[in-house]
Amino acid sequence: MTKPIASPSTRAFAREKGVDLTVLAAALGQDSISVSDFERNLTGGGAPAPSADTSFWDVDHTLYGPVVTEKMSRFAMIAAKNLTAAQQLIPAVTHHDRADMGEIEEFRKSLKAEALNRGIKLTGLAFQTKALARALQDFPRFNASLSADGESLHIKNYYNIGIAVDTPHGLMVPVVRNVERKGLWQIASEIGDLASRAQARKIRPEEMGGASMTITNLGGIGGTAFTPIVNPPELAILGLTRTEVTPVWNGTEFIPKQMAPLDLSYDHRVINGAEAARFLSHFAGLLADPHKLLL
Amino acid sequence: MTLENHADFIVFGAGPGGYAAAFRAADLGRDVVLVDPRATLGGVCLNEGCIPSKALLHAAEVIREAREMSDWGIKFAKPKVNLDALQAKKERIVGTLTGGLVQLAKKRKVTVVKGTATFNGPDILKIDGEDWSFKDAVIAVGSSSIKLPGWPEDDRIWDSTAALELREIPKNLAIVGGGIIGLEMATVYSALGSEVTIIELGDQIAPGAETDAVRILANALKSQGCKILTDTRVETIKATKASLTLTCTGAFAGKFTADVVIQSVGRSANGNLVGADAAGITVQKNGTIDVDNCCATSQPNIYAVGDVTGGPMLAHRATHQGKVAAEVACGHSAAMDTDLIPSVCYTNPEMAWAGLTTGRAKADGISHKSTAFPWAASGRNLASGGGDGLTKIVYCPETERILGATLIGANAGELLAEMVLAMEMGATLTDIALTVHAHPTLSETTAFAAERALGTLTDM
Repeated sequence: MTKPIASPSTRAFAREKGVDLTVLAAALGQDSISVSDFERNLTGGGAPAPSADTSFWDVDHTLYGPVVTEKMSRFAMIAAKNLTAAQQLIPAVTHHDRADMGEIEEFRKSLKAEALNRGIKLTGLAFQTKALARALQDFPRFNASLSADGESLHIKNYYNIGIAVDTPHGLMVPVVRNVERKGLWQIASEIGDLASRAQARKIRPEEMGGASMTITNLGGIGGTAFTPIVNPPELAILGLTRTEVTPVWNGTEFIPKQMAPLDLSYDHRVINGAEAARFLSHFAGLLADPHKLLL
Repeated sequence: MTLENHADFIVFGAGPGGYAAAFRAADLGRDVVLVDPRATLGGVCLNEGCIPSKALLHAAEVIREAREMSDWGIKFAKPKVNLDALQAKKERIVGTLTGGLVQLAKKRKVTVVKGTATFNGPDILKIDGEDWSFKDAVIAVGSSSIKLPGWPEDDRIWDSTAALELREIPKNLAIVGGGIIGLEMATVYSALGSEVTIIELGDQIAPGAETDAVRILANALKSQGCKILTDTRVETIKATKASLTLTCTGAFAGKFTADVVIQSVGRSANGNLVGADAAGITVQKNGTIDVDNCCATSQPNIYAVGDVTGGPMLAHRATHQGKVAAEVACGHSAAMDTDLIPSVCYTNPEMAWAGLTTGRAKADGISHKSTAFPWAASGRNLASGGGDGLTKIVYCPETERILGATLIGANAGELLAEMVLAMEMGATLTDIALTVHAHPTLSETTAFAAERALGTLTDM
């Protein structure tokens, strides 16, 4: 699709309405666009409407009580646009599983003194990051991106894990690079560094993007499950909520186990449900027996 | 975080990009602080660039035209140039414009702070040691003349700023760098009586401009007494008490002496002057700061406009970017969505171009054709004493849409605007040809060039 001819005022109008002129021209079968084409299109000229009708929520809230209005930041508006596009364009499914974190927790406890010495917070997230890179090595089709035209799959030979960080100015996703080559101390220290710099808004653009998959961890806050939105061009996102001691039936009795809930939202165009179940179960297995990470 | 000194919207640099951003933001209701180290507003453009050079070029043109009138039977005495008075006139013009900016700032309640601002974090900065917090910031700190390494420190080696100070009229003037700035200085000083030699590393002066037009310009400069050495590199400059000796290699290999050398080899972005690192913004090796088409940097509340964002380093690009940055920061959906930035070389004759040249189209493998109308066939040009000139249009052979235009001749910079609008509107050769142009005007030449391609021209 080539860019249609449109005057500067038409281009400004399109920006204001959030309309992609290339898409509109293709929909109308025209190589040039004027403002009157929008009206035709908006009133049902055959092409898809550029945005949903939201007039029903354009209400005067002050009728019901006092209201303070604050402007959405540019940062938040860009994120909103990207999230809406991801939600609209990707047929995503969320698969849920649980991982036994008992061994990792024991191991972490045994390293407490050393962690203090090194000045590194060795979190469960560091293990989960390492295990996710390993799971991606074992399931290469999850470490891929679908081309924008949907005609090819780019399978990646690197294992970079995005870590979603909640900051006062919005969500940021810095990326730990080449996780497969790094030890747990280094991964833990990099996650700590990226997270604290994200809080201070000192993440460089080159430190974001290019992830194999993103982890969004609400474990420190709470919750039992959620359905994260895939962060394109990645194919899946792993959500984590709070690890809790849960009774698990071992065939004869209930054993108290530290179980971490796992929520994997994935792009169903590329990954089918059985694959996702196998992937997440394999990932849970790596966490349950972290010795496997050495193999 | 809000400190005692707080700026809702702060602009670093009061050049064309900076003051456009500041004034637009103020018009949109923001409390604006405009910081600049100069005593006057307007940046390089007003103080030591576009405007003062145009004043001197006007003087040069009058001198030249008066001389040329002898051919018309009107003889003027040789002009007596009082450099101090000319300098003062130029300063008055600059003063009127910078003073006007002060009024425009006052009218909008923009706070002007004289000083240098540097970031101390993504929402804090220092102005000459004093801490400020801010909400949105625009970096508009421009560019500086490139100084070639290894050249001696000498009062007789000028940059464009020094050249505009009219310290003296050197007998022999060497201009290193045949871009727009160098050619304009050649025009001024040759009219004032200097013997000018232009040395250009590339294969033509005004690199990037349409070759046919450059040929006309080179011939005109030669007839004005300028020597042009292309494909030539200045290897060394040796300063002696008597003069400066330039040693060159390339198409001209050898030595020659000059009383003054003007260095006009380009400008480099001033991105390293703002402490960008502290705000988490990367400055590229060449000093530029990357922005998207909303002029946003990697920090959501910090924008950059003008020369500091790279080329083309032109005031009118900066003002457009400045407005975009202000509007985006105020929640509007503005963007810099054009790459049609007109270039004007205010020489005699003037040369102006925008969009594709035939050279660029060939290099990029873009399907194109071109048509041209020589000004030797323009009644208005001949009747106004104009010499050789050309209007050339590059167009798409399939759609007839205009892809680029170059004009050389009197007022070429003014005439170009029609072509830029035509390109923005997606106009075709037929659109131009069927638009009635007044006769006799120089503007007719665009219609004639279009008609020539369409086979409907009757004026040639």
